[in-house]
Order: sequence, then structure tokens, then C-alpha cells
Amino acid sequence: MTDHFEDHAWKDVAPDDLLEIYSAYRRDTFVGPNPALLLIDLYNMAYKGGAKPPLELQDTYPSSCGKYAHAAIEPTKELIAAARGAGIPIFYCTSDFRAMNAPRGVGATRRNSTPKTAEDFEIWPDFAPEPGDVVIKKQRASIFAGTPLVSHLNMLGVQSVIVCGESTSGCVRASCVDAYSNGLHVSLVEECTYDRHELVHKMNLFDLHHKYADVMHIDEVTSHLGDLASTRQAAE
Amino acid sequence: MTEPRIWDAYLTDRDKQVFAASGFGALAEWGARPALLVIDVNYAFCDTEPKPILDSIKTWRTSCGEDAWEAIPVLQTLIGACHGKGVPVIYTTGHRRADNWDSGSWSWKNSRRKEEKGIGGMTRNGVEGNDIVDAIAPGPQDLVVQKQKPSGFAGTPLASYLQLLGCDSVIVTGTTTSGCVRATVLDAFSLNFRVTVVEDGCFDRAQASHAINLCDMHAKYANVMKSGEVTAYLSGLGEGMFDLPSGDGMALEAAE
Repeated sequence: MTDHFEDHAWKDVAPDDLLEIYSAYRRDTFVGPNPALLLIDLYNMAYKGGAKPPLELQDTYPSSCGKYAHAAIEPTKELIAAARGAGIPIFYCTSDFRAMNAPRGVGATRRNSTPKTAEDFEIWPDFAPEPGDVVIKKQRASIFAGTPLVSHLNMLGVQSVIVCGESTSGCVRASCVDAYSNGLHVSLVEECTYDRHELVHKMNLFDLHHKYADVMHIDEVTSHLGDLASTRQAAE
Repeated sequence: MTEPRIWDAYLTDRDKQVFAASGFGALAEWGARPALLVIDVNYAFCDTEPKPILDSIKTWRTSCGEDAWEAIPVLQTLIGACHGKGVPVIYTTGHRRADNWDSGSWSWKNSRRKEEKGIGGMTRNGVEGNDIVDAIAPGPQDLVVQKQKPSGFAGTPLASYLQLLGCDSVIVTGTTTSGCVRATVLDAFSLNFRVTVVEDGCFDRAQASHAINLCDMHAKYANVMKSGEVTAYLSGLGEGMFDLPSGDGMALEAAE
């Protein structure tokens, strides 16, 4: 019973009875009006150790998403280029790594922490922010939690967001739910979103897609951004 | 300099010179897609009829007395103008558990807060203090935000409603100028919404607080305008710009 709405990463793990239970969520998916791009946690730490299975990197780079992170590099470059072509606002986020910035125990997850450096939280060079982009520093999972993002989106007249990044089950999920709760339409780009394990990735995409976000394929989103770019050029 | 303002009488000569020399109080742009906010115009702040404030506060300790009832016809005009154009009208009012546990920090600064604990709560003579005054009662397509703290934004869905409606600005009215109006204006400003405060559509129980808070807001966060200027602005807006609630199924609630 795989149709376009369910033609996503979870289709090989979601059984028919589950799809039946979620049939009331079926709808058209789209990129909303006046979009902005939110790039969640595309920092060096997620890519460390190269394109290996995350389990192999567990001891040396415990926060790396390994091969899943590296598989998303090319589509993410494509998505960012399309967003720049369309001239839509681009927001990055990364961890607030300033000294003396928070009491003990503050973090994006409850994981046992390992020593980290400022370099771990710099944006991966393939996606380097450009002048005019905004980099939000956050202390928790969601890009909205305790940050000025909503005020920036209001000033820009943004009414929807295109989201990608990592991890699907952590900061991406939290950011999508907060975007939804703030009244924004959410499109999540599947090929540019990843986690440390496929099953967790797939089931979190499933949850987000049915309840809060439109999970879309990279070509659908870049095609829409291409249309916006053409409209923009025609207006100039 | 400019036209006389309600706060002039409270300013020292030096204050006037400082405001003039430091550039505060410039007129900001209005924005293009406003919502009208009506803050806490309920019986607890207005009483059930115009009464001298010192009498009124014997029953309703938060009453603003006759000043509330001078603003109500202004609110009727503004609400009517917004309804005519399909501009969103969003009311706020308080809500509280019957046992008043959630009054929280409110109990720290008022010696009569304990009157609202236990039997009776916010009800006086059969009137619920948090009910919005009937003369400006919300219609089926209006929105009512229930809040517990001064700002209409604190712990409420107000910001998400403005986002859904595509609003870029708010026109703020209601009470008290120094309390919930100011707090709401500040949060709207912090969220990058353009803010207009309607001078004669706001009221306070303290005259000096009313004037000086309008002065502060006009200096830094908002355009403080008379209602005539605001209705002129509203009349220049297009009709039906907003995807308002349909109001379906709300008629009964509104009629109660």
C-alpha cells in the first residue's frame, strides 16, 4: 500500500497495520509560503571519523553519525545552493559553547558527556555559512528553545520552514515540533536528515511526517526552490 | 516642539530636553497586517458599571473605576472597525484554579490577594471577575487568550496565533496601562511585531502610572496614538486580508 505519501525511508519497516492506523494523516505535502531554511546541527562532530558505521566510531567519535552523515553531504549542499538561488533566509544552529554559559546538566540530551572542543561545534566546511546567513547558538535540543529565532522569523515575514540536519530523533524532531507549535508549516528534507541508527531515523521521520511535518524528497524541495528562484529573477 | 501629550504634566524640564535630544519617540511604521489586542477588559478591572474608583475597589480590588468605562466606547469603535475589515480581534483575560494555587507570584505583592482564595474565588455578587465586559463581548470569529501573567504572550499561544494569521503588527488596548498592557507591548516588541498603543483605549487605576507608562512606551517600543488616528489607519486597510476563524459552532458560546 505504498503510495506517494508513504514512499519514504520508513516503508521497509512500517507494517501495513501501522499504515492503516495512520491513514487519517494522509494529505498533500508541500513547501509553505515565505519559507526559511533551518539547518540543524551541521557541525563537525557529526562527521568525524569518516563514512563508517557509527558503531565503529563509538569509542573515538561517539557523537559521529558516520556514514549516514556523509551520505547526506551532497544532497545538503544541493539544498543550500537551491535556497541561496531562491534568496530565502538561511538559519544554522549549533551548540552554545561559550565558557560559563550554563549550569551543570544543561544539554541537548541526557547522554553521558565526553570532552568536546569549540572546533567540534563549528559548521562542517562544505556548508560554511555566508554573510547574510544567521547562526543560532542553542543549549538544548530545539533551535527555538531559549533563542531569538521566532523574533527573526517574524521580522522577515517567514510563514514556513524547510528543515534538515541531525539528529532526526533529537534536535531535528524537537525543532520540527516547536516550529509546528509556533504556527509554521514544516517541510523536512529526507535525504538531508540523519541519525546514528537507521531504525531510529526511520521511525522518527514516520512520526514527524504523520503528525507535524511534511517529509519531502530533495528533488521536490529543490524543484520548488528553483521555481522561487525563477520568480525572483523575473521580478528583478 | 510637538503637540501636547498626556504625559507632559509629569515630566521635568530636563526630561523633555533629554527626550528631544536623544531621538526617542520617533514615529515607527505601522505595519501592514495588524491584529487588535484587547487586554483584560473584564469585570475585575472595570466593575459592572462606572463607579468612582475608591468605591469600586471595595468590591473589585483591581478595578480602574470610571476610567475603564470611558475607554469602553473607544474599544467598541475599534472592535467594530476591525470586524468591518476582517482584521483579527484577540482578547486576553485571566484564568485561575478555584483554589487560587496558580496565582503564584501575584500573591507576593498584594495584601488583598487572599480574598480570591477559597469559596467565591474571582466571583463577586454572582459576577465572574475574569469574564470580559459584556459591552465589548467577543464575537464568534474573535480569539480569546487565557493567561495567568501580565503579558498576553507569557505561557500562551498568542505568538503562534499571530504567526498563523500572518500578522506583522499589533494594536494594543485595554488594561492596565502600567501592567498587562505594557508587558504585552514589550513582548510584542521583543518578537519584532510593530506596536501601536491606543492612548484613549487603555486605562489604569493610577493616573500618573497611565501617563508615564504611555510616555515610556511611546519613547521606546510603540507608537502611542489617539483612537481617531487608529480608526483612520484601519479604514485604509483592504478587506478580508486574514484567514479568520470561521466561528462555526461558536455562536452558542458567544451568546452565553
